[in-house]
Amino acid sequence: MKEQIDIGSDGMIQNQELPLTALRDGEVGIVVSINPRGESCGRGWGFEKRLMDMGLTPGTEIVVVKSAPFHGPIEIIVRGSRLALGRGMAERIFVVRKKRA
Amino acid sequence: MPDPKLIIALAGNANVGKSVIFNQLTGLHQHIGNWPGKTVERAEGTLHFKGYTIDVIDLPGIYSLSTYSLEELVSRKYIAVERPDMVINVVDASVLERNLFFTLQLIELGTPMIIALNQMDVARSKGIRIDPEKLEKLLGVPIITTVAVKGIGIFELLSKAVEMIENGEKAKHLEVRYGDEVELRIAEIAKMLKNLQFWYPPRYVAVKLLEGDEEITREIQRMEPRITNAARDLAVEIEQLHGHSCSTVITSERYEIAGCIAREAQELVSPKRPQLEERIHDLTTHKILGYPIMILSLLLIFCFIFAFGNFTSGLLGDLFHSMESLFSNVFGTGIAQELVWGGIIEGLIAGITIALPYIAPFYIILYVLENSGYLSRIAFLMDNAMHKIGLHGKAFIPIMLGFGCNVPACLGCKIMETERERLLAAFVTTLVPCAARTVIILGLVGQFLGIQWALALYMINLLFIVLLGRLAFKILPGEPTALIMEMHAYKVPHMKTVLKQTWFRLAEFIKIALPLIIVGSLVVKIAEVAGLLDPISTAMSPITVMWLGLPAIAGIALMFGVLRKELTLIMLAAFLGTTNFAQVLTPVQMIVFTLVAMFYIPCIATIAALIREFGWKKAMYIAAFEMVFAIGIGGIALRILTPFV
Repeated sequence: MKEQIDIGSDGMIQNQELPLTALRDGEVGIVVSINPRGESCGRGWGFEKRLMDMGLTPGTEIVVVKSAPFHGPIEIIVRGSRLALGRGMAERIFVVRKKRA
Repeated sequence: MPDPKLIIALAGNANVGKSVIFNQLTGLHQHIGNWPGKTVERAEGTLHFKGYTIDVIDLPGIYSLSTYSLEELVSRKYIAVERPDMVINVVDASVLERNLFFTLQLIELGTPMIIALNQMDVARSKGIRIDPEKLEKLLGVPIITTVAVKGIGIFELLSKAVEMIENGEKAKHLEVRYGDEVELRIAEIAKMLKNLQFWYPPRYVAVKLLEGDEEITREIQRMEPRITNAARDLAVEIEQLHGHSCSTVITSERYEIAGCIAREAQELVSPKRPQLEERIHDLTTHKILGYPIMILSLLLIFCFIFAFGNFTSGLLGDLFHSMESLFSNVFGTGIAQELVWGGIIEGLIAGITIALPYIAPFYIILYVLENSGYLSRIAFLMDNAMHKIGLHGKAFIPIMLGFGCNVPACLGCKIMETERERLLAAFVTTLVPCAARTVIILGLVGQFLGIQWALALYMINLLFIVLLGRLAFKILPGEPTALIMEMHAYKVPHMKTVLKQTWFRLAEFIKIALPLIIVGSLVVKIAEVAGLLDPISTAMSPITVMWLGLPAIAGIALMFGVLRKELTLIMLAAFLGTTNFAQVLTPVQMIVFTLVAMFYIPCIATIAALIREFGWKKAMYIAAFEMVFAIGIGGIALRILTPFV
């Protein structure tokens, strides 16, 4: 958790793909891919497709609003709607950090 | 001659005001049930308009028409196979782009449709201005703007829908066109599909085959495996061209179209004032403050329902029982009369004194919480805790309901995504100490052993919920899902809709629970009149006396508890001839009795709800497991506690 936050916080690495959970509150990321491979979340219930249907398609901007404490879900804004995403799933959404204008 | 019939379906995302429109249209002529063989709710209502009898079907709130959830599958099949005369697509103007993504899919299905552009007021206060005429032109679908909560636009919506059906005019919908690479391949597949008889239009099937849609691929595979194979190859080609899976490419492009249309039709100006709604959101989901606010609100709600329920239930009970002497004056006091009063009417009274005082306020508050948006915030806060039992945040909602009554809680498990999670959540909710069990805990252990023991039992109950939930999670095959939930903007709930929803839920509860409570209470009464209670308690004594160390008559009290859990206590008092349990029971006996009463079997109404949602077999498994578990736990508690007393 600590390590993830440190990645890119120096402002050097900007185009690196990060899991969505690596962004801090208020940061904006652009979806690169959703990786369905992993131990606990799988294709069985099509979470990848569901995220896409909610608007998290590649190239979409996501604003990370905040995350709930104790490793809880994260709150994002995507295409004008406010979503809550389980953390395990958010870790499989890869984004690049968008530079502040 | 009866009126000609029309069927109109309402479709759209969740929380767009669909149910408000449904209620505005249909008033009190509603029927709520399940779709055949599915744990998906089906709400249907009728209305009369311009000489027509119109059936309105409220389809579940969904974000897409793929088939990853039961709701989506049910909705798509309904629209394509049953072919309603008109689909009213309810669109939330304040989240236009995401809503249009769904609209595009309806357009692709080729269904006759009209759009209700709802929550225009919310959009305006968010600084979104929409030009409905432009949107209408872009989509090729007639649009009526509505503010459903104020009833604005409902009449126009209905008139327009009926007018379109009457004219039989086929509106020229927008053609949803994807990128060239995709279009080329759609055309290729559609050509192969030309001669195939199928309930979806060929172009739609072609798109869905490329997307790898399970239902359609399976059906086409059965008819013409050649086509699915070709489609798979073409999908791989697209994947290689774009570097993303074909379904991702198509979804992205569809969203791209939705985004373009939304940007054309809407204009963003800065919102008028700082949004109160957002401040409430920030506060209620705050990392620290969110939790005390939640706990406090829930406690207040439960205290209120408990106090209100207790008071009114007592009042109603007295009222009904005061009629007993009147009844015996008129009908005498023979065996038959005793059966009628003691069996049937007592059962009826039992049902009514639960339904009205407890369930009704409970549902009202639940719907206020849900429609205002607070429930989704609670799910957000509790997601992490729910993962401990293998579920996610939304499962907290039925569990919370369970503290009031297990019946609505079991019915409420529909909000989970998969059949597996629904069952898992239902199992957990049957273990939640409902109001009736709280009465036992407080009335027996709390009163005679002290509140600390009552709290300890409560804690033990919660602990077992976690342990058994985890166990069930490990045993049940299948994958866990995770939280993907929209937190729509806070809004003032529409009270008329809340009251109607409460009314229909109450009716549903009575329909499920009342017959069983009456039959059950009649059976028990017959057993009593026939003098079977003593032989039964003797037959049960190896368990009640030898294993649990309770008086033999406690077995009968527990049997009564299947009807309503708090009856265990009332009956125990009746059989032991005193309400001062300290005289007749040892402290250990009280704890053992309470423990068994807490877990031993869901009450008959809950079993009925389980049967309705999951079928006989699963309901019986749950009941049998809990019976064995409760008796086991009771006996173990006896053996652990005895040396200390």
